[in-house]
Amino acid sequence: MRGLFFFVSLAAVSGYIGLLSISIPLGQQHLPALGDFFNPFSGFWQNAEPATGPPIPREVKLTGLRGKVEVVYDDMLVPHIFAEHLEDALRAQGYITAQHRLWQMDLTARRAAGRLSEVFGTRALELDRLARRRGLPFAAENALRGWRRSPEGMRLLEAYCEGVNAWIKQLKPANYPLEFKLLGYKPEPWSPLKTALIVENMAETLCGGENDLLATVTLETLGRKTFDHLYPEWNSRQKPIVSDTGQWRNIQRDLNHQPALSHSSSSFFPIVEKEPILLGSNNWAVAGTKTQSGAPMLCNDPHLTLSLPSIWFQLHICTPEVNCYGVSLQGIPGIIIGFNEHIAWAVTNAGHDVADWYRIRWVDSARTRYQIDEKEFPITWRVERIAVRGQETIIDSVRYTRWGPVTYDNQPDHPLRDCAFRWVTHDEPSPNEMRTFLFLCAAKTYEDYRKAIAYYHAPAQNFAFASRQGDIAITVQGKLPARNREQGRFILEGSSSANAWAGFIPDEHLPALRSPQQAFVFSANQHSTPPSYPYYYTSRDFDDYRGRRLYDRLRTLQRANADSMARIQLDNFSQRAADALPIMLRLLDQHRLDAQGKQWVTELKHWDYRYESASTIAPLYEVWFDTCYALTWDEMMDSSGQKQRLLLPERWRFIELLEKAPTDPFFDRISTPQRETASDIVTEAFLCMQRFFKTRPSQRTNWGKFRPVIIRHLAQIEAFSRHVEVGGHSTALNALSRTHGPSWRVIVELGPDQVRARGVYPGGQSGNPGSHFYDNFLDAWAQGHYYDLLFPKVLEDLPANRLFAHQILLPQ
Amino acid sequence: MKNLTIVGLITFGIGLLAAVGMPWWSTAVAGALAGWFRAKSNNQSFWGGFAGGLLLWFLFAFVRDLENDGLLAQRIGALFGGVSRWGILGLTALMGGLLGGFGALTGYRGRVWVSPESLAKAR
Repeated sequence: MRGLFFFVSLAAVSGYIGLLSISIPLGQQHLPALGDFFNPFSGFWQNAEPATGPPIPREVKLTGLRGKVEVVYDDMLVPHIFAEHLEDALRAQGYITAQHRLWQMDLTARRAAGRLSEVFGTRALELDRLARRRGLPFAAENALRGWRRSPEGMRLLEAYCEGVNAWIKQLKPANYPLEFKLLGYKPEPWSPLKTALIVENMAETLCGGENDLLATVTLETLGRKTFDHLYPEWNSRQKPIVSDTGQWRNIQRDLNHQPALSHSSSSFFPIVEKEPILLGSNNWAVAGTKTQSGAPMLCNDPHLTLSLPSIWFQLHICTPEVNCYGVSLQGIPGIIIGFNEHIAWAVTNAGHDVADWYRIRWVDSARTRYQIDEKEFPITWRVERIAVRGQETIIDSVRYTRWGPVTYDNQPDHPLRDCAFRWVTHDEPSPNEMRTFLFLCAAKTYEDYRKAIAYYHAPAQNFAFASRQGDIAITVQGKLPARNREQGRFILEGSSSANAWAGFIPDEHLPALRSPQQAFVFSANQHSTPPSYPYYYTSRDFDDYRGRRLYDRLRTLQRANADSMARIQLDNFSQRAADALPIMLRLLDQHRLDAQGKQWVTELKHWDYRYESASTIAPLYEVWFDTCYALTWDEMMDSSGQKQRLLLPERWRFIELLEKAPTDPFFDRISTPQRETASDIVTEAFLCMQRFFKTRPSQRTNWGKFRPVIIRHLAQIEAFSRHVEVGGHSTALNALSRTHGPSWRVIVELGPDQVRARGVYPGGQSGNPGSHFYDNFLDAWAQGHYYDLLFPKVLEDLPANRLFAHQILLPQ
Repeated sequence: MKNLTIVGLITFGIGLLAAVGMPWWSTAVAGALAGWFRAKSNNQSFWGGFAGGLLLWFLFAFVRDLENDGLLAQRIGALFGGVSRWGILGLTALMGGLLGGFGALTGYRGRVWVSPESLAKAR
């Protein structure tokens, strides 16, 4: 009996411990084992950081250092790294970045490596498969092979990686970043390959897009004439980055060699529409003649998917040869957007299509041999082993051709099943690519800047530049295929080597502009050049409106200072709305409207085209315009209206047709017996919009509430995400959409006595959701405020009242 | 009551020592030791161990939480479907309490089973 009582209580305690030790499935996710997670000795409570900031030990030994490194954190938790050698500074950067952002580094590298399933299980399997089948790990391996050809560059990269690993090595499970505990896995060592994967992840985001398949199907379905009518590539109202001043006169190229298009055998394929990701960015530089102080100024706001932990990490590196402040990407040594005592640089995405599909002519039915120019080649297999949490490892073999991987060779019904993916990112970069940004950190002149960016490979960027000497410049830089007309706009025939890219645009022919008469340079992801540029290029989504607005603002700008630059970055005016609304109002048949409708028309007539957070008119216009667009292009959707089967015309072309061709047959709705015109569509859309708000009264609100902006945690954990109510629109300079927006707003003034800068990003320096520095910049960012960035030349210049911690890193 | 307090204190003390470097369920082992050596009844052992474990887990968490201004507790609360800061603290404390309590009860019943004589002598 006594024994029984003992065993019952033993069973109770073991059962209880067991219960706390299993991870509980919750929908598709697994909650962590409660005992591991809740115990205050090693669970999440250990990540509850003091409100004053993370503990920074005064002295730390760091293996591999050549000399002493002093790290001073200011009150924004920005580390200022003072080192004798660049190598030491980068080692410290790795160590510090890991300290604050380790989990983010791990996740980003996993995404490109196709290794998310190891952590998330089968629900990430398709993502992993696709990342691998698109050749992201392949690209990273090739990048690393290229970098290895520069021993000096590798030495710096390895110092950075060793710095990361020094941090990981001293970590005890109790100190693992919160997400490792929550998702139940361990950090693993960093490596140069992982840095390459981070680069490829960025490339996938910025230059992995194309719509070759949709364009091909559309051309075949509609015929050439209609295709050209609906999808012209050049919008004459656009302001390109570099205009034609005769600089291309001597470049001889015959663009008219037509590459053979591949004609698909089946008629068309319904494609599930992916939500268009409106990535965009602005940068500009103005000469001293336009500023109050007489010194050049440079501004940047790269728009990306906003996330927590934040995309960027601020950092100041100070060595005898480099004194540079800016934002870095986790996992990449150096500074991506920054300034030093002499120059400043800024980037936006060039957006050129550098990804093509080549239809393979197979020789055998097993699809192991293919033909180019009558010659036969064997494929090579790349075997991907995808480890899946709680399941057996999945083996996925992918065919690789001379063009690239046959990404969808495993899907018998996929329209691209027999097409190979040719992507510039797969190519081995120049050995010094890794050092592009390190050279920029150390640049002093325009020549240094051009030399540094010449090493840059992908994703192609518009590099804006300003110097204290008074230079301003912009260069479209990256490896851009030297295309013939329309090459890469459609699927290409892969059985002819003549369809291959004829090399890349030589550096001296890349669009570039230095200190132009207009006293400013700018970019907003628009066309790089007018059509007279001797190379053909295309894009899935060149911007059509921010560039025009930016041009107008800069042209009239006078006596600029940091405040007036901030007003441009925060400009909520939509050029697209200004173009479209007057036309829509003109076409609207007001006789068909009720009293409320007429009232709304009056309000719309008085709208200033600004997507301010408080505007109650902006939501009306937004729904009205989107409905007009959807009703017009019903032909492009399948019968459900949910899936896209043909390419959707660009918005600017749609607005042009509304204005100039109101009786165009495409305004006719296929589902109705009568024949509609633009006027009918616009009126019908207005009535739809009224019904929309009538049935959803809660949506009849201000713009900020109507379109909340979500800054999501990288693992989509809602509790670690933030929602904000802000103005802005993807067609305004303050390019905020639901999930995307200005990920770093920075304004730099280069002189006259010293370099001054202010900046802000929607998050914080810490990646720890248990830290007050996780999202401490967010409210200031949402309100359009900036922080003064501290840029001391020597450690002692850092104002004492803004000093948070002082750390000394010593050689072991 | 005195014994109950002593069981609690021992659970707390050993639990505290074990918490550094030992797995989280060491609180139950601490309770078992306290229950074996000091408890005189089921009630004494369970509630003594419970109080010791609860206090241990609560205080450890609470100190962190105070320093942190409750920020992480709120976020974790949201993660677990809208539990409040105090709810998360309470849950943590309860987990520790049950570990100590069940542990001490098991320790006490073990002694009753294995050497009831020594227990009688101690009484």
